[in-house]
Amino acid sequence: MIQVAGKQIEWREGMTVSDLLAELKDPHPYAVVRINQQYVTRPNFEHTYVPDDSEVYLIPMVAGG
Amino acid sequence: MPDYHFKATKTLDYKRPDITNGYAGQTLYVNLSDGQIETKPVDAKTKKTFIGGKGYDLWLLWNAVQPTTLWNDPENALCIAAGPLGGTPIYPGSGKSIVATLSPLTGSVIDSNVGGYFGPYLKFSGFDALEIQGKTTSEVVVFIDGINEKVQIFETSGLPDNAYELSAILTEHFAEGKPRNVSVVSTGPGAKNTLLGCLNFTWYDPKRKRARYKQAGRGGVGTVFADKGLKAIVACWKTVTADTNNPADKARLKDVAKLHSREIVELDPKQNEMAKIGTTHLVTIMNDHDLLPTHNFRYGRHDQAPNLGQEVYRRLFDPGFDGCWMGCTVACSHGIKDFVPLSGPYKGKKVFVDGPEYETIAGCGSNLGIFDPHTVAEMNFYCDAYGLDTISVGTGVAFVMECFEMGLIDTTHTGGLDLHFGNRDAALEIVHQMAAGEGFGQIVGRGVRKMKAIFAKDFGADATIMQDIGMEAKGLEFSEYMTKESLAQQGGYGLALKGPQHDEAWLIFLDMVHNFMPTFEQKAEALHWFPMFRTWFALCGLCKLPWNDIIPEDNKDTAEPAKVMKHVQWYADYFSSITGIESGPEDLINMSEGVYNFQRIFNLRMGFGRREHDGLPYRAMGPVTETEYESRAERYDKQLSEIYKFDIDEKSTAEKLAALRKHREQQYDTLKDAVYNRRGWTNDGIPTLKTAKRLGIDFDDVVELLKANGVNS
Ligand code: SF4
Repeated sequence: MIQVAGKQIEWREGMTVSDLLAELKDPHPYAVVRINQQYVTRPNFEHTYVPDDSEVYLIPMVAGG
Repeated sequence: MPDYHFKATKTLDYKRPDITNGYAGQTLYVNLSDGQIETKPVDAKTKKTFIGGKGYDLWLLWNAVQPTTLWNDPENALCIAAGPLGGTPIYPGSGKSIVATLSPLTGSVIDSNVGGYFGPYLKFSGFDALEIQGKTTSEVVVFIDGINEKVQIFETSGLPDNAYELSAILTEHFAEGKPRNVSVVSTGPGAKNTLLGCLNFTWYDPKRKRARYKQAGRGGVGTVFADKGLKAIVACWKTVTADTNNPADKARLKDVAKLHSREIVELDPKQNEMAKIGTTHLVTIMNDHDLLPTHNFRYGRHDQAPNLGQEVYRRLFDPGFDGCWMGCTVACSHGIKDFVPLSGPYKGKKVFVDGPEYETIAGCGSNLGIFDPHTVAEMNFYCDAYGLDTISVGTGVAFVMECFEMGLIDTTHTGGLDLHFGNRDAALEIVHQMAAGEGFGQIVGRGVRKMKAIFAKDFGADATIMQDIGMEAKGLEFSEYMTKESLAQQGGYGLALKGPQHDEAWLIFLDMVHNFMPTFEQKAEALHWFPMFRTWFALCGLCKLPWNDIIPEDNKDTAEPAKVMKHVQWYADYFSSITGIESGPEDLINMSEGVYNFQRIFNLRMGFGRREHDGLPYRAMGPVTETEYESRAERYDKQLSEIYKFDIDEKSTAEKLAALRKHREQQYDTLKDAVYNRRGWTNDGIPTLKTAKRLGIDFDDVVELLKANGVNS
C-alpha cells in the first residue's frame, strides 16, 4: 500500500511515479514528488519505481529563488 | 579573548517615540565624518509613496547623493531599514532588514535584504531607517540603544577583523547578560580588500548559546561599510511581542498570523521540509532539470550533484529551531556544528557554519566543478567570516577557472595557482587571498566586470569571448540559476533593477518546466507582476519564502497558481491589520510600482537606466562554445529546425551555433520591448512622464531628469 496525498493506493510490482500519478487522476503538472525523503523530478518519473509501503508527497510547485 | 577598547566620542540622548501601527515616524542620521547624530521626521507624503523598508532607503539615498557620487565618496549613504510589518513575532518571516547604498560593483543603487534581528530592533528603538554618511579613518562602532534611549559612536581598538569572532564579542559586550537583546551588523577583512563585501546581521540562538548570522550579500554593501570606517553597528532592544508594533487591529493580525503560521507547520513536512533541510532540496531538483549551474554556467547538470544535495546536508545540519527571526515557523536558516576547516586561520579548530543555502552550494560548489560538501561549507564559513558575498565569489571564481581552462590566463597570472575546475584547494586559497588583499585573489575580488578589463588589457586575453562567458550584468555577478532555456528568466535577470539577482523574478519553472507563459505578452505580464509583488516584501520588512515556498494544498486548482493568491490576500490582511490602511492584493502591487519605477529612475540618474544596460552575456541566453552546443545538440537542433525553420542539414556546429544565437538574441530583444511596454516605459527602458505621474513619483527633480533624457510625455 502507498500513502499519497492523504489517500491509500494499492501498490503493484513495477509501479513507476508516472503510473502512480496517472492512477491519481490529478491533472496538475507536477514537476517534483518526494518518496519518503527522496526527491524525484519529472524527467525521472517514468523510470523511478515506487517502493511498497512508501509515503509519496506531491510537491505543488517549485517556487525556488 | 582579545584586549579591546571602546571610547565614546559622540552621544545622542533621545526620547523614543511610541511605535504607531508599525511605524516609528522618524529616521536616524549618522555622519561619520563629523560625528553628527540626529533624528529626522518622516512626512506623510514620504510614508505614502515609499511605504518603508527599501522604499525609505531609496528616498534617503536619493537625497544624499548626486549623479556624480561614487561608492566611496563620503556622501554615499548606507541605509538600513525594516518596514512597517517588520518585527512582528507571530507572522512567519517578519524580520528582514533591507540595505541600500551605491554599489562598488555597479556604480548605481544596490539593495540587499537579510534576516537577523537588526531591522526590527532598530525600529523598536525608534527609527524606521538608519542612514549613515561620511567616513572616518578610525574604526568605529555605532551603538543604537533603544532600551536606554541613546545613540553612541565609539572609537574602538583591539577588536578582531573577522565577523565570526567580532559578532560574538560585540554581542557579549553590549548584552549586559541578555544576548538576545543584541543584534550586530559587521563585515570582515574581505570587504575591505575587495569590492564584493557582504554584511553579517546577527540573531542570538539561545539553544546553541551563540550569535548566528545571515548575510546582506549582494553588490558590495559590506565594502561600502568597511570603507566608511565602520567596524560594526549594534542595536539593542528588549522583549518583542505582537503589541510592539502597536498594530491597528490586533485581533485581525492574530487571526491571519495564526492561519499562515499553522499552515506552514502542517504543510512544510509534507512539502519541502525547509525546517529540516533549508533550501538544499533545490540542488538536485535544479540538476535534474538542467538548471544547476556547473562549470561557470556552461551546463546545468552533473552526475555528482547529489553529493551536494539535501540528503547530505540533512545529515550535516545541526538539528534544532533555525528561525532567523522570532517565531518564523519556516525556520530554514540551518547550520553545521563542530565543523573543522582544513585551511586558513581556523584550520583544525571547531567552528559553527551558518549555512549553506542553495545559492552558496551552487556558487561555491557545482559552478566551480566542486562536488564536495565539506569544501562548500568551508567556503561558506570563510566568506561569511571575511565579509565576502558567496554568490559573487562563486561566480567570479567560476569565471577565472574557465578563463584558465581556455588558456586566456595561466599560472604566470594566477601566482602559480592551478585554476582548473574542481581544484578545491585553489578555490579556498583565492578566498584567503581576497581577505588578505593579496595575490591573484586581489584581482578576483574586483568582480567579473573589472576582471574582464584587466585580463584583456594586462594579459592580452580575448575580450569578445570573455564578454560571452563573464557572468555579470550591470556589473553584478549572476546568482546561481541557468537561464539558457528560459527566456522569461533571462528577463528576470537582465531586466532586474540592480543586476542579475533572482529576488525580483524567478520564473524558470513556470516558463520552462510548466510552459505557463508561451507568449511574449504573458512573459511581460509575469515580468511585471512578480517583480512588483516581490518588491512589496522589501518595502514591508518581510521574507518572501512563506509566500510561495510552502503552498496551500488547494492552490493548484486556483486560476493563477503561480501567484499563490490565497497568501497574497493574507498579506493584504496582514498589512491592513498592522498599518490600519485597508488594502487588497492590487494595492500591494501599486505600492511597489511607485518604488520600483523610482529605483529605475535612480539608475538613470546614476547613468545606467536604459535599454543598453539591460544586456546579458550570451551564455545566459544560449551555448557559447561548440562543445556546449554539442552537449545538448538534440535540443538545439530541434529548436532550430522546428521553431526557427532553419535547415540544419549538412550544417556545421559553428553554423548552427551562429544561427541559434541570432534567434535567441532577437528573442531577448523582443522581450525587452514587451516588458518596457507593460511597465509603462519608453522603448529605451525609461519610465514615461505619464507613468511617473500615475505613481506619484513626479517630484521636480524626477521630472527634470526624465526631460533631460528626452522623455517629455
Ligand atoms: S523563512 Fe527562513 S530566511 Fe525567511 S525569515 Fe524564516 S527562517 Fe529566515
